[in-house]
Amino acid sequence: MLFSSIVFLYFFLPFVLFLYFIVPTKGKNFVLFSVSVLFYAWGEPVYVLLMLAQIVAAFVLTGGVERFRDSKAGRVFYILSVFLPFAALFYFKYYVFFMENLFRMQPKALPLPIGISFYTFQIVSYCVDVYHKRVDRQKNLITFAAYVTLFPQLVAGPIVRYSEIAQTLTQKVHCHEVYSRLEKGIVRFVVGLGKKVLIANVVGEFVIEVAALDHRTVALSWAYAIAVALQIYFDFSGYSDMAIGLGGMFGFEFPENFRYPFISESVSEFWRRWHITLGSWFRDYVYIPMGGNRVRMTRWIFNILVVWLFTGLWHGAGWNFIVWGLLFAGLLVFEKGLGKLWKKVQSTNNLQDNKFIRFMWKTVKHCYVACVIIISFLVFHNGQLQEAWADIQSLVGQGKHITETMRSSDMAVCVYLLRNRIGILCVGLIGSLPALTWLWTAIGQRLEKSKVGDIIICVVQPVCVIGLLVLCTAYLIDGSFNPFLYFRF
Amino acid sequence: MRENRWRQRITVYSFMGCIVGVAAVLMIAPEKEVSQSERRRLTKQPELTTTTLFNESFMEDLEKYLLDQFPVRDGLRRIKAYFAYNVLGQKENNGIYVVQGQASKLEYPLNEASVKRLANKMQQIKEQYFPQARTCYAIVPDKNYFLAQANGYPSIEYTQMIEVLHQELNNSAQKEDFEYIDLIQGLTIEKYYHTDTHWRQEQILDTAEQIEKAFGIQLDEKTYSRHEISDFYGVYYGQAALPMEPDTIVYLTNHVTDTAYVWNMEENMEKGAVIMPYDERAVLGPVYRLDKLEGELNFDKYDVFLGGAASLQIIQSPASATDKRLIIFRDSYTSSLAPLLLTAYREITLIDLRYINTKLIGNYVDFEDADILFLYNTSIVNNSSMLK
Repeated sequence: MLFSSIVFLYFFLPFVLFLYFIVPTKGKNFVLFSVSVLFYAWGEPVYVLLMLAQIVAAFVLTGGVERFRDSKAGRVFYILSVFLPFAALFYFKYYVFFMENLFRMQPKALPLPIGISFYTFQIVSYCVDVYHKRVDRQKNLITFAAYVTLFPQLVAGPIVRYSEIAQTLTQKVHCHEVYSRLEKGIVRFVVGLGKKVLIANVVGEFVIEVAALDHRTVALSWAYAIAVALQIYFDFSGYSDMAIGLGGMFGFEFPENFRYPFISESVSEFWRRWHITLGSWFRDYVYIPMGGNRVRMTRWIFNILVVWLFTGLWHGAGWNFIVWGLLFAGLLVFEKGLGKLWKKVQSTNNLQDNKFIRFMWKTVKHCYVACVIIISFLVFHNGQLQEAWADIQSLVGQGKHITETMRSSDMAVCVYLLRNRIGILCVGLIGSLPALTWLWTAIGQRLEKSKVGDIIICVVQPVCVIGLLVLCTAYLIDGSFNPFLYFRF
Repeated sequence: MRENRWRQRITVYSFMGCIVGVAAVLMIAPEKEVSQSERRRLTKQPELTTTTLFNESFMEDLEKYLLDQFPVRDGLRRIKAYFAYNVLGQKENNGIYVVQGQASKLEYPLNEASVKRLANKMQQIKEQYFPQARTCYAIVPDKNYFLAQANGYPSIEYTQMIEVLHQELNNSAQKEDFEYIDLIQGLTIEKYYHTDTHWRQEQILDTAEQIEKAFGIQLDEKTYSRHEISDFYGVYYGQAALPMEPDTIVYLTNHVTDTAYVWNMEENMEKGAVIMPYDERAVLGPVYRLDKLEGELNFDKYDVFLGGAASLQIIQSPASATDKRLIIFRDSYTSSLAPLLLTAYREITLIDLRYINTKLIGNYVDFEDADILFLYNTSIVNNSSMLK
C-alpha cells in the first residue's frame, strides 16, 4: 500500500488511528502488528508469509542465542540468525545477477519482495545487538513482530533499530503527550506527502519527458541531471518524512533519515546527511567491526571499498549500483588525502585566518559536492551504465544526446520542456535547502511572543496542513504518475 | 515552536475531520457511473475474489475506483490545474494548453516512421481494391498548426510531414497515383471549436467545395438552414480541467441532408452477420443524430454528426445532384464534413480503419467507379499504427 494513495490516506490511516487509540495499552502492539501485516499484504499478498517466517525464525534463533549464549550452540544460533535473513535477501535480490555475471547462466528472475532490504537489515541489527548484549531480547513474539513489521517504516525505511523504539513498544505514550505527538506527526506526514506528490512526482514527469528525447541541449541536460537528483531526494526524503510522521502519531520517535544533504561541503558530510540510517547501519555493523579507521592505511582503504561496495549493492543488483558505491568509496579516500594536504598547506602558509581563502575553499567544496551529487545520481538513476555515461557526457556537450545539427523543432522542444518545468525545478532546489524551515521557525518564534501571534499560528498551521492535504489529493486524483523509487530496494 | 494546546487540538481535529469525513462520504455517497466533464464511464467497484486478491488486481482496481468516486473530483482536478498553471508556471496541464481561448493538445515530435507507414498503407489499399480509381488525399491540421509556434509550444513539423507523405506516395512506378488536395491553406483557428479538437461544420463549406472541385464536380451554391446545439464541452475541456466557455455546435441542413439516410455497420450486426443497407432488415438512421444529445451515457455532442465513431458507414443521398459515389478513408473530422458532400454524391462510404481491418473492407464496400479520398488529421498521420 502506498502512503500516497486514497486507500491509505482516507481509509487505512483513520481506521488504524481509531483502532490504536481505543484499544487498551496491552493490545496496542497486537493492533500495530495486525494492521502492519494487512498493510504489507495489500501490496505483497504472497511474500507476506516470507516476512512472517523470517520474524519467527529470528525470534526463535535469538531465543537460542540467549539460552546458549556462552556455548558453541549459542554461536551457531547467532550465525544462523544473521545468515538466514541475508540468504533470503541474496536469493531474491542478487541470485540472478550473480548467476548471470559469474556463470553466464540466466535463471528465472523472481519478483523482489517489497522492502526486503529494509526489514532484513532491521532483523539482522536486532540479532547482532542481542548477541552482543546491546539490547535485551524481546520475549514477546507479537512485540518483536510489531517492531519488524511496523508499517510506517516497513517498506522504505528509515532503518529503525530495536534499541531506538524498544521503550515505546513496551511503555506506551502518556495521554498528555498524545496531542503533541499527533500534531507533530500530522505536520511531518503532510509535509512528506507534499514532497512526494507535489515535487518528486512532478519532477519525475520532467525526467521522463527529457529521457524520451533523442537529442537535447546542454542546458536541458543539466536541468535533467538536477531533476534526477531532486526526484530521488524528494521521493525518498518525502517517504521518510511520512514514515517519521506516522511513527510520531503512534508515539514512536524514528531516527532522522535526511538532513538537507545538498548543503554538504564534502562527500563524507553528504553521507552523514543522506539516508542516515543506512549509513549508520553499515558503519556500526560492517565498518567498525572491520576495524574502521583505526587500522593501517591500506586496510582502511580496503574497509572503505567493502563498505561502499555493499552500500551500492544494497540499492540493487546492478553494475550501476556497484559503480555508484565504489565511486563514493574513491571520493572518500580522495577527500581524506586532500583534507590532510590542505591542512598542511594552510598551516605552512598561515592561511587559517584568511577569510577570502576560506570563502573560496568553501565555494569550491560546495561546487565539488554538487557535481558529485549530479553525476552520481545519473549513475544511480540509469539501469545501464552506457546510458549513464551518455547523460554525463551530455553535460559537457558530448555523447549521443548532443548533436551539432539540431533541428529547429528539436530545439523548440528542448526550450519548451525547460520553460514548462522551470517552476518546479526552482521549487525543488529551494525546498532541498534549509531556508524554508529556518523561515518557518523564525516566523513562528516571532509570532509566539504575542497573543495575537499565537492565535495566528493556531489558524495558519491547520490551514496549511489541510491545504497541503487537499492539494496532494488533487494531484493524486488527476494524475497517474505515482511511483515510489525506494520500494524496489 | 513551543507547545500550544489550541494549535495542537485544532491541527489534529481538522486533519482527522478531513480524512474521516472523506472516508464517510466515500462510503455513504451513491456510486457515480459517469464523469460528464471527462466524458468517460467511471470505474466500477471491484469484485473481491481469491484470484483478484492474490493477483493484486483488486487493490489496483479499488484505488482506481476510489479516485473516480472521490467527492468533488472535478473541483479538485481544477485546483490541481490552477496550481500547475499559476504556481508552478507550467504551460500545460495533462498535455493540454489553453491560449487565445482555444484549448489544444500537445503533439510532438514528428514521427516520420508513422507517416511512411500511413503512405505504405494507402498504397497497399489502392493496389488491392482500386488500382485504377481516381484517388485523392488531404490532411487536416490539428489546432497546434495555428497555435503552437506563435505561443512557444512545440509541434509537429507540418511541412516536413506533408513532404514525406508526398514523397512516399509518389515513389511508386506509376507517378501521381495520389493527388493531393491542399485544405490547409483555407483553414484558420477560428474554424475549430474552442474546447474540442474538431472543426466547425458551418465553417468548412469551402473545404467541402474544394474537395468536390478536386473530383471535378461543380455545383451551384448550396443553401443550408442553421441549427444550434448549445453547451458543447469538447474533449479538451475535461482534460484541461480549467474553466472555459462552452462552444455551440451548429449543424447545417437542407432537403438533401433531410432525405439522406445513414447505414452504420455497428448497428447492423446480427449474430455475427452484417445486414447490408439494401436489405429490408437494415437499420438506417438520419444524418444528424439528435438522439445522441440525450442520455447520461452520451458524452460527446459532436456525435450528432452521423452518430459518432463507426467502422463503416454508408450514406445514401437520394436527392443528390449526381449519381457519383465517394469513398472516404477517414477519422472523426469527416463526420461533420460528409453531410456537406451529399449534394454532390448519391452515396458516400466512410471507412474508419481504426475500427475495421483493411482486409475486411472488400467484403462490404464496392470500389468500382467511385471517387476515393483519404482524409486524415495530422494526429492520425503521426500515430498511424492505430490504423488496422
